[in-house]
Formats: sequence, structure tokens, C-alpha cells
Amino acid sequence: MPAIIETKNLIRDFKKTRAVDGLTLSIESGELFGLVGPDGAGKTTTLRLLAGLLDISEGDAAVLGFDLKEKAESIKPHIGYMAQQFSLYSELSVMENLQFFAELFDVESKDMAERTERLLTFAGLTEFKKRRAMNLSGGMQKKLALACTLIHEPQILLLDEPTTGVDPISRREFWNILTELHLRGTTIIVSTPYMDEADRCSRVGLMYAGKLVECDTPKNIREKLEGDVIEIQAGDWQKALETVSALGGVREAQTYGESIHLLVDSGERRLPEIERVLKKENLAYRSIRIAPARMEEAFISLIRKLEA
Amino acid sequence: MSLRHIWAVTRKEVNHIVRDRSTLILVLFTPTLVLLLMAYALTVDLKNIPVAVLDFDRSQTSQAFIQQITAGQDLDIYAYATSMDEINAMLMRGQIKAAVIIAPGFARDLQALKGIPLQVIIDGTEPESGNFAVEHIVQRAEEFIDDALTKQLRAQGIVIESLQPLDLRVQTWYNPDLKPRNALIPGLISMVLGFPALSVALTLAHEREHGTLEQLLATPITRAELLLGKIVPYIIVGLFNVIIIPLLSIAWFHISLNGSFLLFFGLSAIFMFSVLGMGMIVGVFMRTQAAALALSFLVLFFPGFFMTGIFFPLASMPEEARLEAMFLPGTHYALVTRGIFLPGVGMDVLWPYAVMMLGLGVVFMALAALFFRKKLA
Repeated sequence: MPAIIETKNLIRDFKKTRAVDGLTLSIESGELFGLVGPDGAGKTTTLRLLAGLLDISEGDAAVLGFDLKEKAESIKPHIGYMAQQFSLYSELSVMENLQFFAELFDVESKDMAERTERLLTFAGLTEFKKRRAMNLSGGMQKKLALACTLIHEPQILLLDEPTTGVDPISRREFWNILTELHLRGTTIIVSTPYMDEADRCSRVGLMYAGKLVECDTPKNIREKLEGDVIEIQAGDWQKALETVSALGGVREAQTYGESIHLLVDSGERRLPEIERVLKKENLAYRSIRIAPARMEEAFISLIRKLEA
Repeated sequence: MSLRHIWAVTRKEVNHIVRDRSTLILVLFTPTLVLLLMAYALTVDLKNIPVAVLDFDRSQTSQAFIQQITAGQDLDIYAYATSMDEINAMLMRGQIKAAVIIAPGFARDLQALKGIPLQVIIDGTEPESGNFAVEHIVQRAEEFIDDALTKQLRAQGIVIESLQPLDLRVQTWYNPDLKPRNALIPGLISMVLGFPALSVALTLAHEREHGTLEQLLATPITRAELLLGKIVPYIIVGLFNVIIIPLLSIAWFHISLNGSFLLFFGLSAIFMFSVLGMGMIVGVFMRTQAAALALSFLVLFFPGFFMTGIFFPLASMPEEARLEAMFLPGTHYALVTRGIFLPGVGMDVLWPYAVMMLGLGVVFMALAALFFRKKLA
């Protein structure tokens, strides 16, 4: 498969900051690529650069074979870009927004009716097509924005945190749509702050301070986590957390609701030790086990390592 | 250049204006409202200026003189003062704008044909009222003295028609009553028709602020298509105003349109094109609506006030300012509106202004398209 997006030492400077710092990335046709990283890591700037919305300061980038420094406009008919903030016309109706973008993307008039209907169904917005965009819920606005970026059937989708601020059900619906598009062969680059979403991507790039510090399949990234995760379900979890996080070999302690996730150097060695301490301190626990590492742990441990 | 793209943007822009009633009213009627306001505010006839009189002479002649200068509505006698202190106090409190002081011996000196002492004090904090009072008093005093002298000469058996050696006959053409409004309103029209340009200046910044520009820049629309699509609705708004504003001037202010309305409409359309181009340049450079608004006042209205010759004659400006004024469409359009309204001139006289406005419009539009980049920063 040839690379559909290719960047080499891509740099973008703003007045005082270097938002993207030497990004080298190659994305193949048909990938569902997740861009993760803490706030301010450069995800939005990267997507804007790839969409041709910002000038490149240094380095090279090509999308669909078009050099972005020379021919940024040539890629526009082939990409669908969705900004992080809501950026449709709030005083226009759902249908009018769709038609507006259809006309700008030169969708042929004869295809218009069929395509808008299909996208409205796809996004579950058929019954709201006359409603003004400003009166839609956050989740519906995101789905409308996605529908607008899909109106010209682009080869590449660039989505900037499309599910931020959306309720869990809408979030799942949104990802079902993305998965369907992915299965149909659309190349998707999506930035997300949610690790469960990163887990659904075919490949994940972790950005930190403008650099791509890790780029692999979710499975490989999880395996790169050095050590194991121990999950404890304790009664007095706050006290338990205090006690166990100070123990030797514990690198990280996080809580998920009432369960504690400990990142330790070796699960087999540390599990009996922790059990012993909990019993000694009279801390009741319902269960303790070695759990499979998730993206979240891998992500946090990678970021902590970078920050140190 | 895709007409479909332009039309899509125009339609969206029209929906944006029409669906918010306050935006609609503001965009459509601001020029009318501003014209009404300014026409009334700027052409107030001065009258009933309060003055005080201090008469040290207390003669029949001085009484007659006081009556002469205060007859009519121009000056009102606020008080007869008895001392300078009183006059001072009244001026300080702003109760009077001028004081007339008649020295002792007024009647005697007039009789003896000697220099007649007359003192007028005016409040310099309000020069318009003060100057108006002085002019009025001087004129009436001259008349009074003329009368007195003629009577005296007649008593000595000398009959003359007039003491004025110059037989001056002034004819005022085009605006026979010299009503300031007749000259001001056509000039004001050129200013208030600049308002649609303000809306244009704001429209790009509005998209930037609301984030919609980001989505728009990600589409294949070209820069020229976007700018043209955005300008079309405001050309329509402008032409709507080009029709209602002369009607208002004629029906409400009774200003006669002596030239051709069709010519006025045509040249106004050219003016709209160039002034909207100016607004577009502002919109291209300013990132926020607040900044666009501020710059619009700086480049669209401020020079329109002082440099286009509406209020201050171009001829009395320094050369640099006159040269600068040539680059403002309003300068040429003010000459066009006055020319068509008052003397009723035609294209034979107005063509240079039409050419200048058209040229400026083309340059402004080209600059706007050149400097507008399809990038976010």
C-alpha cells in the first residue's frame, strides 16, 4: 500500500511556540489512525497542517501526492476536515448546511437528493433536517458536522476531537459510523483525548510537545508498557491507595471508580507482597488480580516517563 | 470562477441577515436613521440667544437702539443689568451668551457724528452662539446708525438714497435660499451609504470568530468566489438604500433632485462597489469584529467626515490631505450627489468622478482578493 499522507520533519512555529516539532509520519490508504497526546501536544495544529489550513514553517508534507507547500488547494476536493469547535452555520437548518457544503464541494445536482438523504439517515438526523443547527444538541451537531464533511465522499477524513463534549451513547454511535467508513476504505485520521477510542484505531500516534513519540498498533503500544497492572477492589479504597502507592516496585497508582490500578515492575513478584501489607493493615478487599494493561495505563506511563 | 460557489455563499449570507430581525433592520435602515439624525443635528438654526444689556446712557436713543438689536427671534434679552459685576455673574453661570454695553454719551455722540462707543462681550466657550450674536448686533447697529444719519442729513436738507456707496446684488444659484440642509444632505448621503461597507468589513471577522471560516477554508472555494459571494448581498442592501434615501430627502427634507434619478442610481451603484471594496479590505486584515469595527470608523467614516469635503471645503485643505481625499470614493461621490441634486448636472460633468470611483473599486477588490489567504493564521 502506498502512503496517502507523508510528512518529513514537519515544523510549524507560532509566534512564541513551536506547535509541531519535526513530525515524520506516514499513513497508508485505508488506515484508521488515532492521534493522541495531552492538551497542547500539537494534535490540532498537525490536523490543520494536513488539511492545508496552515502554512508549513519547515519540513515537507504531502497528501495524496500533492505537496502541501505548493498545492494545498488541490487536496481540498478530496479531504473532509472537521474542526474541533462547532463550525457550521448555526442560523442555517440541518438540510441547508448540508446543501451549502455540497455546493462548495461541487456535488452534482442529480446526486444531491440521494446523498443528503443517505447521510441524514446515516447520522440519524432525518427527522431534524429542518431544525436550525443552533437548536441541535451537542452530539447531533457533531454528527451534522461529520455529515457535512462526508458530503463529497472524501478519500481522507481529518477529524479533530470529534467526540469531545459528547455523551457516551452519541460517542458510541459516532464511532460506529467511523468504523463503518473505515471498513468501506476511507482513510481516517482522528485526534482524541479518549484512550478507549484510541484502542479502536488501527494505528495510534502519541504526540508530546509537538513530537511524535510513539507510533504503533494499540496492541503493540500496550505491550510496550514495562511491568504489569494490578487491580484491587478495596472497601476503604482511599486508605488502601495511600498504603499501597508507597510500596516498593509501584510506579503508578490510579483509581477507576472504586478500583485501584497499580502499575508495578513485576506482577508475580509484587502481588503477594501487596496482599500481605493489606492484610497487615486490616484493609478489606474484594479482589486483587493481575489485569491486562489498557491504553490508558500505557499512555499515562509513557507521558510520565516523558515528563520526568 | 464557479457561479454555483458564489451563489451558495450569497444565499447563506442572505439567510444570515434575514433570519435575525435585528441584523436585518440594522443592515437595511442604518443609513436612513443616521441621515435623519445628522440632518437634524447638524443644521440647527441659531436663534433665541440670551443676551444682557447694560445701558449707561439711559436715553431715548439708547432705548431705541436696544429695541432695534433685539427685535425678531435671533436675540432674547435675558436681563437688563445694572453693573459689570452682574454681567460677569450671568456669563459665568451661562445664563447669557453675550452682553451689550452702551457707554454714557451714546445719544450725544451719535448726534455729534463722533465715534460711537459700543462694547459687546461674548462667551468664547460657545463660539458659534457668540459669533452669531456679534454678527447680528453689528448688522443691526449699522442699520441703526445709517437710519440716524440719513434722518440728520434730511433735517439739514440733504437727501440721499443710501449711505452705502456699493450697490451690491448677490445672486445665489442652485440653492437660492442658501439653506445649509440643501447642501448638507446630498453630502451626507455619500457618508451614510458607507454603512453597508461596515457590514462587509464585519462579515469575514464574524466567520473567524465563530469558527465557521475554518470549515469554509477546508472547501475548494476560491478566494475571489468567497469574497464576491459575500459582497453581493450588501450591494443589494446598498442599492435598496440608494433608492429610499433620495426619496426620503425629497419627501421629508423637501430637497429637490434637479438632475436625473437614473444617473444618480447608476453612479451610486459604482460608489457602492468601490466603498464595499474598501470594507472588504478592512475585513481581510482584521481578525475580530471589534477590530474591524474600529478600523472601519478610522478609514470609512472618520476621513469621510473630514476629508471628503462634506463639511470642510476641499480647497481649504493642505495639499497632502487633498491628495489623500482623492483615494476615498466618498470624495468623488459627494461631488456627484451635490452635482446631481443641486445644479442637476449630467455625465458630461460627472464622468471623471465616475471613472475615479470605478477605478478605486477595482483596485480595492483586487487588493482584498490578493491579501486574503485561505489560511487560518
